[in-house]
Amino acid sequence: MNTHQEELTLKKYFQNIWNGIRTTIKGLSITIKYVYDVKPVTVEYPEVREILPEGSRSRLFNDAQNCISCDQCAVACPVDCIYIASKPRPKDAEKIKTSNGTPIRRELTQYTIDTSLCCYCGLCTTVCPTESLTHTTDHEYASYTIDQMKYDYLDPEVVAWRDRIVK
Amino acid sequence: MDSKENSGNGNGHNKYSGEKLKSELLTVNMGPQHPATHGVLRVEVKTDSEVVAEAIPHIGYLHRCFEKHCENIDYRGNIPFCDRMDYLAAMHMELGYCLAIEKMIGTEIPRRAEYIRVIVTELQRIASHLLFTGVYAIDLGAFTPFLYCFDQREKILRLFEEISGARLLYNYIWIGGVWNDIKDGQLTRIKEFCDNLIPELDKYMNLVGQNKIFVERTANIGIMTPEMCYNYGATGPILRGSGVDWDLRKKKPYSIYEELDFDVPVGEGLKGTVGDCWDRFAVRQQEMRESVKIIKQCLDGIEEGPIMGKVPKVLKLPKGEIYMKTECARGELGYHIVSDGGKVPYRVKAKSSCFTHTSMLPEVAPGLLIADFVAVIGSIDIVLGEVDR
Amino acid sequence: MHKELADYLNSVVSGADAKALEAEVGDSSILVATEHILKVCQALKDSEEHQYNVLQTISGVDYPEGVGEDKTPVIEVNYMIASFIKNTEVILKVRVPRGDDENLPKVDSVCSVWIAADWQERECYDLLGVDFVGHPDPRRILNPYDWKGHPLRKDYKAQEVYQGMTVYPEDKQNIPEQDFVVEQNRLNDEAKAAAKKAREESKKDS
Repeated sequence: MNTHQEELTLKKYFQNIWNGIRTTIKGLSITIKYVYDVKPVTVEYPEVREILPEGSRSRLFNDAQNCISCDQCAVACPVDCIYIASKPRPKDAEKIKTSNGTPIRRELTQYTIDTSLCCYCGLCTTVCPTESLTHTTDHEYASYTIDQMKYDYLDPEVVAWRDRIVK
Repeated sequence: MDSKENSGNGNGHNKYSGEKLKSELLTVNMGPQHPATHGVLRVEVKTDSEVVAEAIPHIGYLHRCFEKHCENIDYRGNIPFCDRMDYLAAMHMELGYCLAIEKMIGTEIPRRAEYIRVIVTELQRIASHLLFTGVYAIDLGAFTPFLYCFDQREKILRLFEEISGARLLYNYIWIGGVWNDIKDGQLTRIKEFCDNLIPELDKYMNLVGQNKIFVERTANIGIMTPEMCYNYGATGPILRGSGVDWDLRKKKPYSIYEELDFDVPVGEGLKGTVGDCWDRFAVRQQEMRESVKIIKQCLDGIEEGPIMGKVPKVLKLPKGEIYMKTECARGELGYHIVSDGGKVPYRVKAKSSCFTHTSMLPEVAPGLLIADFVAVIGSIDIVLGEVDR
Repeated sequence: MHKELADYLNSVVSGADAKALEAEVGDSSILVATEHILKVCQALKDSEEHQYNVLQTISGVDYPEGVGEDKTPVIEVNYMIASFIKNTEVILKVRVPRGDDENLPKVDSVCSVWIAADWQERECYDLLGVDFVGHPDPRRILNPYDWKGHPLRKDYKAQEVYQGMTVYPEDKQNIPEQDFVVEQNRLNDEAKAAAKKAREESKKDS
């Protein structure tokens, strides 16, 4: 047996009872203070929402207007959840630039991120040269089926998030 | 006749006499889904009426092939995978990996990055031990301290979210330094948190550690002698709870731990024998106070400067191998990295402390009651993500 | 330090053939003959001067194309041992010929020296297929008990079906998106080749 058997004298018996009462009262005096003295920390979600700090890595958003199809994010992703397909723009099309001045030479035909595979590490956002791929602070986007977790960033519904996110 | 049959004095006619009754051990399966096994651990317990005779752990329910993944992904991309091994102390996992690689390529890490790494690692140690305190109490039936500890831990996780962007799996400590810089406002908040933590730790010790019921349930239970610990390779709070003064931050210092002043708490057997569950609990409480000391020294000494050293864009390690050990919240974490000169590692082996500690259960268990067995599993503080990788 | 240790081992265990492999980058180690690993470990644990009382981990590495100049396929088993009394540590290496699924390589088990080797050797057997002779409980540990194959070998292919479940189901592999990328790349290459041909023809004409 692992338990240590000490001799139980009468003095020890009463000492045990006194120890039990003393430590329980000490513990109770700590917990009773929480009834009247301590402010509750519960946040009454969903009426009150937490505002996440600005660097928080939640849902990804790619601004397709600023993407130059360099494929760096797909290469950097450790779980390979970004699928990019692009073709070169014809030579006689008008010259367009991104918001920070990089010329756009390719046209994006598919930009899909499978968010159910994404591990939110942020490696893709660090290598993006034009910062079109960023982490936003949207965190309430549970969906009913797993196919809805594949975000197609050329879809007009998804492009419409731009007004809310990009300032 | 009936009276002769039921006489029971061993004259051979009684079918309930001692020689004819078979008694076997009862197999109780503490299955993979169990609130007290801290994850998906299955223990096959063979009991002889409430006293455990044999305990056989079965693991592998959370095996995610970390070591095979590492052979296909480049060095920087492996850091999110390292996080996910011990998800409750993710900074320690990243730090061990980055230190192993930096030792091999020989980069110099800027001083500010070293200070930030130590602050963040010690905060993570406090968060992990707070979770241990709350969850150990709830294993033994005390439901109140759980939320008190989680309230404090929530403050740490909010700090981490401001610093690194995520609450639990950070990808913050990178090869050569850290990812983002810490702002002054965040440093002030860390100082406030540390000042408010010490009275709370006294409160938890009074509420849980000194409570007679808790002491009765954990003192003299699951005694691990130093010889047993050496034989099994146990490290961390288990070895220190058995009275051995062994802390890798003092014996084989890494990062800037040599310049910092802190003590190593060792179990003394205050409430029972040396090496019992109460000692391991007390060692972790004391470690939290030492971590606060370390953080305060770092906050005073943090210097200005860059946060990332010079690391080539395409990282290729020279041919060779390295084994680097660091002290993480649960014991000693070792990374054995073998490189053949390419962009991806040839072999990464993570030596996890929880794997070694789980192997000690069959030796400690015989003779305990089932409720005591639950107390022992709780006191070794395992996280199945690290056991199974 | 490694040279002295190798000389000590050669003097205490005859035939151990201990060689110190010094490395400029990373950790140095000691290579020992496979048949004598048990005696070498016992000698290191018992010696008064060294007292290596802790086995930290056993790490196996698969080299299907050999190590260095030697081209025989081997599996290298590394024993990381440490002395918590003298505060030293050393890596011991053993190289066994690789074999295949039917004849697994054999190494003596060191469980009688340090009981920590119990689970570490089970993991090495499970992931790399090294058979430890004399192990008290030779079963798989991380993979299910009826799994086939040894995953960390470099030529491992996962089984298609396990107990009636498909191991890599197709609907989880995002095949339409990947096919679109491959198709687009093919179209790009065709357009590039056609443009190059048109340029060459116009050069020929002019």
